[in-house]
Amino acid sequence: MLDIDFMIEILPRVLKASLVTLEISFLSLFFSVFLGLIFSIIALSSGKLINILIRCFVEFTRGVPQLVQISIIYFALPYIGIYFDEFWTGVVALSFIGAGYTIEIFRNAVLNVDRGQHEAGKILGLTKYQTLIYILYPQIIKRSLPPITNELINVVKASALLSVISVNELTKIMNDVIFEYFVVIEVLLEATIMYLLIISVLVYISRYFEKRLVV
Amino acid sequence: MVEVFPRLLPPLWVTIKVSFISLFLAFFIGLFFGSINSIYSKFNPINLVSRFYVWIVLCTPIIIQIYAAYLLLPKVGIKLDVFWVGVIALTFNSAGYQTEISRASITSIDKGQYEASKTLGMSLLTTMIYIIIPQAIKRMLPATANEASHLIKASAVLSVIALLELHKAAINLQGNSFKFIELLALQALLYLPIVLGTSYIASILQKNNDDKSSKIDLAK
Repeated sequence: MLDIDFMIEILPRVLKASLVTLEISFLSLFFSVFLGLIFSIIALSSGKLINILIRCFVEFTRGVPQLVQISIIYFALPYIGIYFDEFWTGVVALSFIGAGYTIEIFRNAVLNVDRGQHEAGKILGLTKYQTLIYILYPQIIKRSLPPITNELINVVKASALLSVISVNELTKIMNDVIFEYFVVIEVLLEATIMYLLIISVLVYISRYFEKRLVV
Repeated sequence: MVEVFPRLLPPLWVTIKVSFISLFLAFFIGLFFGSINSIYSKFNPINLVSRFYVWIVLCTPIIIQIYAAYLLLPKVGIKLDVFWVGVIALTFNSAGYQTEISRASITSIDKGQYEASKTLGMSLLTTMIYIIIPQAIKRMLPATANEASHLIKASAVLSVIALLELHKAAINLQGNSFKFIELLALQALLYLPIVLGTSYIASILQKNNDDKSSKIDLAK
């Protein structure tokens, strides 16, 4: 049956690869939240043309397979003269994909805040930016936490695709080990268990936020 | 770009075929598990198995599931064409999501309907087939159309097992012509209308359902 000794033998490599997966996911989530904040503020406070451009970006990230987007970033970055190693190319690609979703999360959260608050801000003489940054965004941070954790789950799943541009994350290492030792079942099982662990914990956290924070 | 465009059309057809066959198969598997999930108690053995299955599908990346299908099927003695391996992998993935979709819509149907059909002397099976499931399918349609757009996107990952769908065909052409950016842009242009089209259909179906239910509310 299962070769437990072998599974223990490759465990350090798999754990190291899982750390890379986590590192990439958190970095990309951080950047995509950052981009989402900036672009949602821009979208909410400016005119039609910029809104249409941002809409196009969002539809692009939703309508094109993630794998295709990753290869676009992989080939396009050197094309415009930016050279990163695989790890950072992966981070850029996942942030790019994630930003499309985070923009929508923040935009919808702001639009769901009571209309009166926009008007109150106007009466107090605040500009659009000030209303957004000082009044609306502090309120929506709490509300956005559950969808953001969901987004983190999506990012972890998408990071598995980075194996095609040879980032040394969990799926790539799994593949390498399989073709090094020609052992399939044990390695697949171990990688699956790692993903199940990581994602189940995140799902649990997201449920917890949903119960506790959303009133 | 214009020159290679016709060469990408047959692979595009493969992409559509693989996604929709999987969607169709997964729909029935999902409907079966979903209805069993919503009728019987939590600790029914079939329910435990299907909950475990859904947990596995939802908590692992699709690329792992595709590798698993590709590497494990020959191990258990099933040798299939790579197209059907792709269909099995995508069906495995999608059935997990569709179980959740049909479970949600079947449980959303009013309990009174079960009681009404019981008084009419119908067995549980006939109630499900003639009364509950037709209504549930109507509620499932928007989510299923969304699932279709997910599947089309997921089918791009099948390029890792060398199924000649749109993405893989474009990779091959890139190797021949070294026109990376043009081919990637072309792919994006081919995927965008299909994926956005299916999600647009989903939103229309959703609106349709919402309109109908609001009319019923007004009638009350």
